[in-house]
Amino acid sequence: MNCRDTHRLLNGYVDAELDPAGVLGIEEHLQACPRCRALYANLRAVQTAVRRHTEFRTAPASLRARLEARYARARGGAKLRSWLTLAAPGLAALLLAVWLAFGNIVDRPNDPAQTRAKVVFQISQGGSASTALRNLANHLEASPNATVVVVAHNEGVDFLLRGARDESGQLFEAAVMKLKSRGVDFRICGNTLVRRQIDTAKIIPGATLVPSGVAEISRLQTQEGYAYLRL
Amino acid sequence: MDAAYSLASWLTRNEARAEDAVQEAYLRAFRFFDALRGDDARPWLLGIVRNTCYTLLERDRESGAPDEFDEESHREETVAPGAVVSFPVNPETAAIENADRQLVQQYLRGLPPEYREVVVLREINDCSYKEIAAIAEIPIGTVMSRLARGRRLLQRALSEHMERKDTGT
Repeated sequence: MNCRDTHRLLNGYVDAELDPAGVLGIEEHLQACPRCRALYANLRAVQTAVRRHTEFRTAPASLRARLEARYARARGGAKLRSWLTLAAPGLAALLLAVWLAFGNIVDRPNDPAQTRAKVVFQISQGGSASTALRNLANHLEASPNATVVVVAHNEGVDFLLRGARDESGQLFEAAVMKLKSRGVDFRICGNTLVRRQIDTAKIIPGATLVPSGVAEISRLQTQEGYAYLRL
Repeated sequence: MDAAYSLASWLTRNEARAEDAVQEAYLRAFRFFDALRGDDARPWLLGIVRNTCYTLLERDRESGAPDEFDEESHREETVAPGAVVSFPVNPETAAIENADRQLVQQYLRGLPPEYREVVVLREINDCSYKEIAAIAEIPIGTVMSRLARGRRLLQRALSEHMERKDTGT
């Protein structure tokens, strides 16, 4: 490794962020080059000075108390909601029993979970995401127990990138997180990211990466019995 | 919460504003918190804290509230990702290490925000490059080049200060 490469990677070396080959390369060079050794010593000195003289600041007790009280309330609400979700399959079982009594779908397995609609939504076009999310929310209103997966690929991944906004300037992330809190699962196509050279760090945290969007959709349809809707 | 408050107080440079930012960020985050996987939660939350800090600072600026440190905050990023940053060789390594607390804090607070945030996330919040990249919404290469630049600015400020002190000017 030469001086130029060493300068470029020295901060990564100081922060233990280099791979073993990089570490070895830098260490060999530092042994041989007094000038780069001096740079390294200065860099360490700055790091030491900053770490020694800047404290990790503790949140004031009043702020903590305020937020914890709010959080406890928010969690209380969540518990009520999850109780309702637990109660719902009971209701579904009752409905299933009624259906079975009328004899129309005799060979359905007698498992309440099976009565939940399972839907996979495909989003593959950039412009359609806000319409798609609106339809999705409507779908959940109509069918709150549905298990919903969204698979985004091609231009359809755009709304799952950080900072993406809809036509009215609202962040998509907020809408996604809201749907996620209602159980919607967002999956994003790895092939698309590679092809479009999108860094995974740009994806909002709510989305899960799958190797291939198209393969995921057909897997959900054929192996897990999902209905398929294209938005 | 301490991590959030610590970051906010370094970014806003104002305790009351830091409290506002943490409170607002947490309210935004609470609604989604339970839906998150554990590993994602920290950078995600710190990312919200960071963005909330900048939103509050922007609001302050629009309403004309003065920020005494803010002269350089809108400077454009001039270091390209992966650019070579040359360090001046400074024989006063020990002098930098021995710089006093007030001076180090003063110069860190004076760094332009894009450098201050990466240095604070790295040295104080102890985040990895990957986490910093997620929080500040920049590529990992840019994390490293901004850290290099931020540390170099600090180094230069500290060593110049020490020289002034030594020569009595």
